[in-house]
Amino acid sequence: MYTQLLKHYWLKSVRAPGYYKNLIVNIFVGITMLYFLVFFVFLGFILPRILEEVVPGVDPSETFNGLLIYMVILVLLMRFLFQPLSTINLQSYQVLPVKRSYLVNYLLIRPLFNPANYLSLCFAIPFSISGIGPVYGPSGAFRFILIIIFLVWFDTLLASYLKRRFGSSIAGILLFLAVMAGVGVLEYFGIFSVFGQSQQFFGLLIGQPLGWTVILLFAVAAFLINKGFFARNYYPEEFDRKVTRKQQAGRQNFTFMQRFGKIGEMIALIMKLVLRHKRTKNVLYSSLIFLFYGLLFYPNEIYKENDAMLIFIAIFVTGIGMILFGQWIINWEGSYFDFLMTRDIDTQSYIRANYLLLMSLCIGSFILTTPYFLFGKEIAINHIVAFLYNAGVNIHVYLFGATYNSKRLELSKGSAMNMQGVTYKNFIVVIPLLAVPMGLVGIFSLFSAQHIALLILATVGLAGIIFRKQLLEITEKQFLNRKYILCEGFRKIE
Amino acid sequence: MIQAENLTKLYGGIAVLNIPAITITEGESFGLVGNNGAGKTTFFRLILDLIEASSGEVCIDGEKVARRDSWKSKVGSFLDESFLIDFLTPDEYFAFTGKVYGKSEGDVAAFLESMKEFFNGEILGSKKLIRDLSKGNQKKTGIAAALLSDPQILILDEPFTALDPSSQIRLKRMLNELKGSRKMTMLISSHDLNHVTEVCDRIVVLEKGVVVRDTHTTPDTLKELEQYFAV
Repeated sequence: MYTQLLKHYWLKSVRAPGYYKNLIVNIFVGITMLYFLVFFVFLGFILPRILEEVVPGVDPSETFNGLLIYMVILVLLMRFLFQPLSTINLQSYQVLPVKRSYLVNYLLIRPLFNPANYLSLCFAIPFSISGIGPVYGPSGAFRFILIIIFLVWFDTLLASYLKRRFGSSIAGILLFLAVMAGVGVLEYFGIFSVFGQSQQFFGLLIGQPLGWTVILLFAVAAFLINKGFFARNYYPEEFDRKVTRKQQAGRQNFTFMQRFGKIGEMIALIMKLVLRHKRTKNVLYSSLIFLFYGLLFYPNEIYKENDAMLIFIAIFVTGIGMILFGQWIINWEGSYFDFLMTRDIDTQSYIRANYLLLMSLCIGSFILTTPYFLFGKEIAINHIVAFLYNAGVNIHVYLFGATYNSKRLELSKGSAMNMQGVTYKNFIVVIPLLAVPMGLVGIFSLFSAQHIALLILATVGLAGIIFRKQLLEITEKQFLNRKYILCEGFRKIE
Repeated sequence: MIQAENLTKLYGGIAVLNIPAITITEGESFGLVGNNGAGKTTFFRLILDLIEASSGEVCIDGEKVARRDSWKSKVGSFLDESFLIDFLTPDEYFAFTGKVYGKSEGDVAAFLESMKEFFNGEILGSKKLIRDLSKGNQKKTGIAAALLSDPQILILDEPFTALDPSSQIRLKRMLNELKGSRKMTMLISSHDLNHVTEVCDRIVVLEKGVVVRDTHTTPDTLKELEQYFAV
């Protein structure tokens, strides 16, 4: 029975329309996946050396054990945010003599068969050889791998429970972040060390012959919590449930936006669009996480001298909202494009609304990243230049580029890894966005003249802001030329 | 009011619409009938500037529609689901449409009040999103939004399909009232010969993109049409 259900699932994904069509996107995704795979394996092998650098004098396996609890929690959070709930088209099975508990078990266990969930093994197995084996012996390394597998099960199951139970509420995430910040403070001042506890706990488990059973019990407990939840809340349609929408609608009022008339109305509409679709909400969360991207690089001495890298990070971080959402501009209104084109909305207002939206995203991300100024004058200058470049050049590139993307974006269906509606054009637009400034700064910095490059970028950006009217007129003309192609493309439902 | 000249639309070299000349005068109710693929929707999309004509042009009040905005304030239209914003509730959708046309909240409320009978107690005030409505209620929402701006020209594609019998009768009554009281110019396509002859004064039959009949409605029209489409 289970094998049948799994087979149906497999057929469903393979026979989904668009699976074969999107060859170029698949290749891009494939290359990215391969890159990460190789990267993880490599990381697993060199991790002991890195850990020794970071915490000298302590055995790498000890350090790893201490960090493990944080990784478990982090992965849980990521899964909570991005893992799609496994659903099943119940109507087709309801009429068949299939036991309910079969379906529940199947729903819960299916994610465990997803190979993507075991990506962490690519890095755990090499590390068990390079870091765990030398200390705990081969059997210890084997137990370590088992523990990692069961931790994946635990995280996956617990995340789907939390998601079914709480939905994806922003308040919950903020609460979680606050608690984590509290734990971090306790750790930092040495009041209570979660790190130390985790170190002892996992060290003990790896050392004991049957230590892995404890984690297995955790996974089983998570499974049972899920089962219990289903037993208490069972309605046939809830198998398929995502988020209860009834309360969602009507909560968001953007009266402050409505003062700007038509343009404000259109921006308020897009804000509703973002908040009422899972895929766009996921991107919103991602962009919040990416705001911290700079922390990976700025404290690091290695990058201090790499000016090209620094400007890349500055542009990426200060423009994150625009970069992530900009690739969907116009395109994401595809499902009601005919409506927009036949209402009393002139082309100028339409383009201007999109421009203002991107501009506010730009300004928003820039303000949120001002704390990075604490890393010094150079970083602050980089960020200001990056902001000018984003607001003056990249916005126009995105808007102009958007007229070429006539593929309908299905927002209602979707999860974090959904590539529907993404074409190679989305990747091409990134080149002028990031590669041009990086290259410019890189070349000038060879002659220690990176400041001239920054000056050029800032001037071009400023010019783009000052001459926005003229630039937008070009985009308007382009939009009118492409209008029919967009209309036709958006009408095609995949 | 609406003029088309030498209007053709080719797809892959094949003409799906070929109208040498047609004029729709103010206040006229224009019914478009024809089998699937006859070019009804294509004609409407050309008037609404959603597709580009291969040759010729459409003018509203003497002004070309192609790549212009001025006609949009005069025309209300509902062709298909791409005229709905599916993640809004009907109330939000009407409010948005009203704002776009510069209507006050009071105007919109008064208009919706007049639509109460047509909505039959559903649609308004519910927190359901448009994508969760039934096909029939989606259609009612779209038709109402087309009327919301008090347009001089109304364009509806297959307005009767998916509606229940009572709603079909209410819609017919509503359209006839609008025709009488506001001199609204209407373009309505339909597969249902009964309904379209009851509402429209002029019936145009399209076949493979060509106008094959263009008559004013008389008591015999329905019979003639039935004969024409009989197989």
